[in-house]
Amino acid sequence: MISHRQGNAQRIAALDERAEALHLKRGMGIADARAMHPSIDIVEADPEADRRLLEGLADWCDRYTPLVALDGIDGLFLDVTGCTHLFGGERSMLDDILSRFFQQGFDVRAGLAATPGAAWAAARFSGNHIVPGGEEEALLAPLPLAALRIEPEIRASLESVGLRTAGAVMAAPRAPLARRFGATLLLRLDQALGRLDEAVSPRLPVAPLSVERHLSDPVVLTDDIERLVRLLALTLKTDLERRGEGARTLALLLFRVDGAVSRIAVGTSRPLREPLLIQRLFHERLAALEQDIDAGYGFDLVRLSVLSAAAFDMQQSDLAGEMNDDGADIALFADRIRARLGEGAVLKPVAVESHLPERAVAVLPFSEAPQRTMPPKKPDKNIPPATVFRPERPIRLFRSPEPIEVPVTEIPEGPPVNFRWRHALYRVARAEGPERIAPEWWRQEQGQEDAPTRDYFRIEDSDGRRYWLYRQGLYDASQAAPRWFMHGIFA
Amino acid sequence: MAMNAVARETVFALRRQIAKIEGTLAERLAAPAGASLDTGVDTDVTILRRSVTVAPHDAFLRTGAERLDAALSGGLPKAALNEIHGAETRDAGAVAGFTLALISLILRQQPRLPVLWIGTAEIFREAGFPYAKGLDACFDIEPEQLLFSEAPRLADALWIAEEAARMTALAAVILEIRGSPQRLDLTATRRLHARAQNAGRPVFLLRQAGEAEPTAAPVRLILSAAPAAPRETITGPLAGSIGRPAFTVSIGKSRTALPGQFTLEWNPDEHIFEERRAQEERAKNPVPVVPASRRGKDIAAAPGAVLAFPTVGSPAAGDQPSPRERAAHRRPRRAG
Repeated sequence: MISHRQGNAQRIAALDERAEALHLKRGMGIADARAMHPSIDIVEADPEADRRLLEGLADWCDRYTPLVALDGIDGLFLDVTGCTHLFGGERSMLDDILSRFFQQGFDVRAGLAATPGAAWAAARFSGNHIVPGGEEEALLAPLPLAALRIEPEIRASLESVGLRTAGAVMAAPRAPLARRFGATLLLRLDQALGRLDEAVSPRLPVAPLSVERHLSDPVVLTDDIERLVRLLALTLKTDLERRGEGARTLALLLFRVDGAVSRIAVGTSRPLREPLLIQRLFHERLAALEQDIDAGYGFDLVRLSVLSAAAFDMQQSDLAGEMNDDGADIALFADRIRARLGEGAVLKPVAVESHLPERAVAVLPFSEAPQRTMPPKKPDKNIPPATVFRPERPIRLFRSPEPIEVPVTEIPEGPPVNFRWRHALYRVARAEGPERIAPEWWRQEQGQEDAPTRDYFRIEDSDGRRYWLYRQGLYDASQAAPRWFMHGIFA
Repeated sequence: MAMNAVARETVFALRRQIAKIEGTLAERLAAPAGASLDTGVDTDVTILRRSVTVAPHDAFLRTGAERLDAALSGGLPKAALNEIHGAETRDAGAVAGFTLALISLILRQQPRLPVLWIGTAEIFREAGFPYAKGLDACFDIEPEQLLFSEAPRLADALWIAEEAARMTALAAVILEIRGSPQRLDLTATRRLHARAQNAGRPVFLLRQAGEAEPTAAPVRLILSAAPAAPRETITGPLAGSIGRPAFTVSIGKSRTALPGQFTLEWNPDEHIFEERRAQEERAKNPVPVVPASRRGKDIAAAPGAVLAFPTVGSPAAGDQPSPRERAAHRRPRRAG
């Protein structure tokens, strides 16, 4: 028995058959129930867990159709249009669903109809029923108003005027109904009867391509799964070739015998259709997830889907079989690293037009960085650059500048004489600078205080190490003494 | 050097004879500059050791600093794991700078290939993330050619490095770690070395603040920063300015070379190494350019002519490291 808090009292939210047999009812106070039957077992309701369970079931139902939608807190919509023949017709599909759910320990009601509304009513009010097309009206007519999926207030007011069944509402003239009870009622009615289309919005985007394999004997070993991936990818390849595309995102769905579904996705930085390469990507992903995937009693359905695809540029190899690949090796390498270690594992610097040192180079994940298609074009060394002075930049930059202690500078705007960084004292032997770098005022928010300017110094300490320090702010501009930071290291 | 030239010469001659009997050519071992080997064989010929493969002529990356190249018998091996150490984390600039200078030399031969720099999250946090603008300006490595990989754990970094080391589509792989972790033992480095050998691409293992440990790398260089020479202007060196980057390179381990120490200067415009020798420097540049900060004296108080390179810490005799830097247990290594 499950309790939940409603108002100020603990009430029964759900109960099983044995509790029902004890004449307990939903909505009854827990105190009353305990008084009647002191031995009942009460569990606090956990809507979050219920939700997770429902989503898990929805994942599992992916095996029947890719279009699975959640319905409230206790229902699932499966759009099985065009899928029933794969399971031997509507009846056997429904039986399969029911028996599999039963084996997993769920008590399920199902209804199958031409419209979502009719199916909903069939599942909840007539029980495991298949409604042939065109007989929605006959199904709905004897059912109570709740079968129309209308709000309780509308239902109550309908009942107050004596319309107690769906059939009675259907028979009533439409215009006064709409005027009195709002458009929702008629909308629901029309949807249930198929006069208006109702779209079931699926939980997950539908993959443009997917191939799957049902296994009579569940697989457990990672090697077997990888081999299956390759077989599936082989099938996928012909489909991709026909469409002239390559996969950019691939998902592998492993349906465990007991209903758990693992979803493993890999991304590629360029369109891919070679089965061997797809297998290698999943090899890395599976190796990384080894702990997280519990094969349990094995997987009985393996599906490989292409979540997104892109046009595949055909490349012709020359007679020696040499492909003029433009970084394809690198792309594949990056994909494999990414598959195992995550999106940020391979980074690529991209120059940004900015004079702030930390903004001048953006480090992007490999897949997001713009791909170089042309060979690098060197500026002609003979042409003098526009500015003769090329600012000195360090070879390593700290992600966040580290504060240093500067006890004294020789002149207020000058370089420090010595400084303390990471608890070590450094004597400045030579210094160059300052190079003043002002903040980018055009990036500032309205009303935001001006960021202080920075004066950068190139410092060589007594051991010959070269650093890049800056002073934030000026000595006389504000009351507080400006702070010093270590920002980079030179070669 | 206790081992005199005569003894060394004998060793070389004997080894050459063994090689002749075995009929194998193995490892280049150029004669040190001092030892003349008039045993009827051309001095330029490689001296041999037992091994099977014959190193082709371009298997070595010439740094361009003649004495260092000679000490390493032709340069750093291109298809191998090369270890580059820094004594402290703050030497990361010198260690990375020297490595990037080497890569810049490699990229002149293979201009289109990218470079992969793998580091643990720790070292990128402690020593700073590579800054593409600076690399472009100083070593002419374009941002498009660079790939970084930041691994949360050392095991991941090693895995990436192993995968990368076998790729021929990369010009070079840098693996940067901090300290001397257990995980990076002889086996792990041997795997890296073998892959680098197969792919024919160098793998640079940068170890910041690491101890010298047995690894499979044939060469280990120990890097530290050297004070830069002042900038050259039309009117002569500009006092107090910081010129081209300079490095102090010590050979920590090499099968062919004796321990030695060299001061190299990288020319960012020409992209070549130039060697700097203390004596030449002194002769060429006898004016005080750097205040004597090492002894903690004030600039004004420094009397007379104080030179840029005081004798403390500089090579003791010839190319040998100073006694301070040479551990007591490390006797001068025999060449073999």
